[in-house]
Amino acid sequence: MSVITKDAPPFNPPTSASPRRNDKDPHPVPLLFRIIAVITFAYLLIPAVIVVAAGLNSGTYLTFPPEGISLKWVRGFLTSDTFLPAYLFSLRLAFVTMIISTVLGTMTSIFLTRVAFRGRGVARAFFLAPLLLPGVVIGLALYTYYLNMPWLHLSRTFWGMMLGHVLVTMPFVIGTVSASLYGFDLSLEEAARSLGSGPLRAFFTVTLPNIKSGISAGSLFAFIVSFGQFDLSLMLSTPNHTPLPFAMYNSLRYQFEPTSAAAGTFAILLVVVSMLLTSRMTNFSKFGGMKFS
Amino acid sequence: MAVTGAGALNQRQPLRVFRLIPGGTRTVLLVLPATAIFVIFFIVPTILLLAIAFNPSKVGVVDFSFSNLTLETFQRFFNRPLYWQALVRSVELSVVTAVLALLLGYPLSYFVAKEQRPGRANLYMILILSSMQLDLIIRMYGLMILMGDTGLINDTLLKWNLIDSPLPLMYNQFGVIVGMVQLALPFMILSLIGVIQGIEPSLEEAARSLGANRLRTFLTITFPMSMPGVLAGSLLVFAIAVGSYAVPVLMGGWRVIVTPMHIYQQVSEVGNWRFAAAIACLLFGVSLAAVFVYHRYTQKYIGGLV
Repeated sequence: MSVITKDAPPFNPPTSASPRRNDKDPHPVPLLFRIIAVITFAYLLIPAVIVVAAGLNSGTYLTFPPEGISLKWVRGFLTSDTFLPAYLFSLRLAFVTMIISTVLGTMTSIFLTRVAFRGRGVARAFFLAPLLLPGVVIGLALYTYYLNMPWLHLSRTFWGMMLGHVLVTMPFVIGTVSASLYGFDLSLEEAARSLGSGPLRAFFTVTLPNIKSGISAGSLFAFIVSFGQFDLSLMLSTPNHTPLPFAMYNSLRYQFEPTSAAAGTFAILLVVVSMLLTSRMTNFSKFGGMKFS
Repeated sequence: MAVTGAGALNQRQPLRVFRLIPGGTRTVLLVLPATAIFVIFFIVPTILLLAIAFNPSKVGVVDFSFSNLTLETFQRFFNRPLYWQALVRSVELSVVTAVLALLLGYPLSYFVAKEQRPGRANLYMILILSSMQLDLIIRMYGLMILMGDTGLINDTLLKWNLIDSPLPLMYNQFGVIVGMVQLALPFMILSLIGVIQGIEPSLEEAARSLGANRLRTFLTITFPMSMPGVLAGSLLVFAIAVGSYAVPVLMGGWRVIVTPMHIYQQVSEVGNWRFAAAIACLLFGVSLAAVFVYHRYTQKYIGGLV
């Protein structure tokens, strides 16, 4: 009896007192990796910070340390006859693209994750291909096609450009929605089916609420990718259909204009707000496994 | 999650035509609209572009004619150093970009993948995804303000008398590479994080407990096991960098000529659609080769599940 009580304490070491590993990480990331990670984070984020700083700067040129804060470039953007219409055009284009891409991309993801058939890998690669092919080439192919098929009436139109955007945004929807479908337990839907609900009802009442986060993330990506799309729009835009990135590009080529930095600030704001809103619905840390193959 | 048996949802006997795809006609309806859009507005235009490239180059002509098929446009491309050297430069710059993106991206991916606290991990993912989603032109704009001859870095260094003349940070290959890495880095990181997270921690623990130090554990266990992500990420970065038009134009200021610029120039300035189509086909071929290798590797390592 006394022997047991003597021996017991070593089998109950202090580590079990703190079952959470937070305070003592068993695998600390090496210092060199931490340093490079910080540098890489800075490299990724500094350009956006600088654009916001230039948009809110009181001088024409951004200096270090900054001269002061002013809203004059923001006012310039809000009264601009090039940037504001371009911003609104991009919003409209991105919204229509998002809806079409999300609906069709979700349907395609369901098909690709559930129906096993030969050549499924090829089918998946087919739908993800626009992500990996040069935007200039896709843009040129579409432009040439529209010119050769005048009866389509798509050359230099909103719908012609929108179709191009659907092609390049759909891979993002398929990537995120497929990821959430792989994580969804199909037996839940089967249970609903066996209890007598039809396939559509089972989908809308059981599956859809479960993959909602993947769909909302996918539609967010579709919206933002369309909003920021440049290489494709380069070939398809016209003077009266100018998206914001194209308008900014034009102003950057000729002179430094802080008004475009203010326009950029509004675009960054849009990304940040929509990311934050979506992060309330979606756990982004799950998207480490997002695959583009 | 393994893919569940096909046709579990549809008991109806499939039509003979759709035998290839179990589940019958109704499941095909799911994929039909997207397929239609992709075939009509992606496959057909790409084939048309390929076809046009085989017509003799002529300014101002867009349409395809069956009667005069020729390799003239491709000969023209390879006979003029201006054009093929740009393609070589595109490939070189993209390879350098992929290597740098790996060197910078791997430590960050490792850092995020090993983060135990879910809140922190989520925050890091939001930052990485935001940087990926942010408008490319805006990011280049930020780099231009930073790196231009009268930009923030040169301006500050000159003011503090650390340098006498502005450092050539932009309008050269260095600037283009900085821009391309900025463009492609998030894709590298996203390819790596999932793979590093998937490595069983007990393997690393086993190596450590058997006496390997941290460096050796990393070199013999962690890094080899993350190879699928490394290869996939590098090829993805390559494909993105080689097709980029805006980055070399803005960061290289027309002093670093790459192939996407020739494509746009042939259309917008010369109006030689057929020659533009030929250059586009060659660039397309380079990207497709990268995608093909990428697909083979992921098929091999992930078994075609994703």
